[in-house]
Amino acid sequence: MITIPYLTALSTYFSYGLLFAFGQFRDFFRKIFDWWHASNLQGYAPICLGLEDFYIRRLYLRIQDCFGRPISSAPDAWFDVVERYSNDNNKTLKRTDKINKCLNLGSYNYLGFAASDEYCTPRVINSLNRFSASTCSTRVDGGTTTVHKELEECVANFVGKPAAIVFGMGYVTNSAILPVLIGKGGLIISDSLNHNSIVNGARGSGATIRVFQHNTPSHLEKVLREQIAEGQPRTHRPWKKIIVVVEGIYSMEGELCKLPEIVAICKKYKAYVYLDEAHSIGAVGKSGRGVCELLGVDTADVDIMMGTFTKSFGSCGGYIAGSKELIQYLKYTCPAHLYATSISPPAAQQIISAIKVILGEDGSSRGAQKLARIRKNSNFFRSELQKMGFEVLGDNDSPVMPIMLYNPAKIPAFSRECLKQNVAVVTVAFPATPLLLARARICLSASHTKEDLLKALEVISQVGDLVGIKYFPAEPKKQQQQQQQKQGKGTIKLE
Amino acid sequence: MYVRAVPPTDLNKNTEWFTYPGVWTTYILIVFFSWLIVLSLFGSSPGTAWTVVHLSHFFVTYLFFHWKKGTPFADDQGIYNGLTWWEQIDNGKQLTRNRKFLTVVPVVLYLIASHTTDYQNPMLFFNTLAVFVLVVAKFPNMHKVRIFGINADH
Repeated sequence: MITIPYLTALSTYFSYGLLFAFGQFRDFFRKIFDWWHASNLQGYAPICLGLEDFYIRRLYLRIQDCFGRPISSAPDAWFDVVERYSNDNNKTLKRTDKINKCLNLGSYNYLGFAASDEYCTPRVINSLNRFSASTCSTRVDGGTTTVHKELEECVANFVGKPAAIVFGMGYVTNSAILPVLIGKGGLIISDSLNHNSIVNGARGSGATIRVFQHNTPSHLEKVLREQIAEGQPRTHRPWKKIIVVVEGIYSMEGELCKLPEIVAICKKYKAYVYLDEAHSIGAVGKSGRGVCELLGVDTADVDIMMGTFTKSFGSCGGYIAGSKELIQYLKYTCPAHLYATSISPPAAQQIISAIKVILGEDGSSRGAQKLARIRKNSNFFRSELQKMGFEVLGDNDSPVMPIMLYNPAKIPAFSRECLKQNVAVVTVAFPATPLLLARARICLSASHTKEDLLKALEVISQVGDLVGIKYFPAEPKKQQQQQQQKQGKGTIKLE
Repeated sequence: MYVRAVPPTDLNKNTEWFTYPGVWTTYILIVFFSWLIVLSLFGSSPGTAWTVVHLSHFFVTYLFFHWKKGTPFADDQGIYNGLTWWEQIDNGKQLTRNRKFLTVVPVVLYLIASHTTDYQNPMLFFNTLAVFVLVVAKFPNMHKVRIFGINADH
């Protein structure tokens, strides 16, 4: 739950109001200037009508240098950020040849597979030599290799389901599967903070969409009861199918889903459960099998498990795991399987090798070490930040920790000040998050050492004092108190 | 003093910010401070300042609530392109708390403006016209109504 100081809320609204007013004034004068000068459109309609790109032109472009920074190395714990400069107040940015080596707190590199790995990389290079970089075909034409078959079995075993199907892109997995699973006459109930891919897939399916309050099983039950009682809109016939879509870890909050309660409610009302484990697969759970293992939910209770390979496995692509009949049906109908190019064989080999390392099948205990390290890193970092007085969201054990900024001016301030001290953070603002709740999202990795974390904490604390985001009172340091007590005892003894 | 920010179930990012705590207070404070600014800039009587604030409030809120359509970003693929901001809030549900508050504010401003100018013409005429237009635009029956096709879609 996000607690925001009341005065900060008022000042944030006022800041956005001011930015909005300035933007509208500039647009107004721009319209007058353009009316005087002839347009070069030659009778074609303009691509954007004034209001659609207002946010991009007047708010986003002002702080464009905080987003989309190009990097020139693998996204490991330390990486090279390319410097950019602008001559026209951030409207266009030009790259220079200089690079800064920065601490990486933004990549989804939970288990440290993003950089070259001693087990995975030789096998990936072998697979590149054998199969080449692309299959140049769809799965049904000529794009299914032995690597694809092995990958699907591997994923199904890892996740704990009878069968799995793999796609080349994670976003497409959600937006191409939901229209196939449900159509007009069905009902999709999705969490209010679900990812854009789920929202697009749900809108593309043609089913009726209802939203329940984020992570609140009681509101889900209320919405389910209301919708089942009312039936389809206008005809009031019973729904053909009801699917409830939730995520394992919500990427903007770092919170875990309340899966046991939600699964119990869905069983009671006979709705299907669709779990999107993009951020949680491989990163949480005792052996890395995701949020079901962490929360003790039987995988047979979750009907469709979806996940991506970009976060914990250092590759690309997405998967759907379910019963054999479901996967067989998807292989006949899903457009991402029938018409899209299959996943690249070296990328598939990277996933297979990463899963083998996580499960310990490569003969070493590196997988278990990585899982223990990510958990230790996340818990240590989160507790230290909270002790300093920052407002940090997210549950324990979650490697995603957003630090709340709120005010729109603090977003570029935090980002630029951290970059000056060689720490690269990702800041997120409206419309990816609600208007009030802008944040800096930190993603930890198993390849961050203790020194890296201490440096990051020091830099973030300094920048936090400068920018003014320590909204909670900091805890007094216990060591100083103990030292003062010892000195007090010492002086008494001397006297 | 801290407040809880519970994310609402509104998918429209253009209107969802209105359901968080602190919006009503900010609105009232902005109106009050603009009165102070008008008073200090023009050096007029308090009544004239309230009339100026009332009329500029009318222009600004009519333009942004009832004239401009759509959303200022392209993420939602233009689903709301035919709806004004007033028609978008609360997902189109009528007579919610937010809508009632937004209907009351122009009326209260009108009462303050007319009282402090002692109900004299010509200020009274303009003030009455402004509040009449604003309140009628906010009626539930005017949802998606375009009189004489003004501001309708192409």
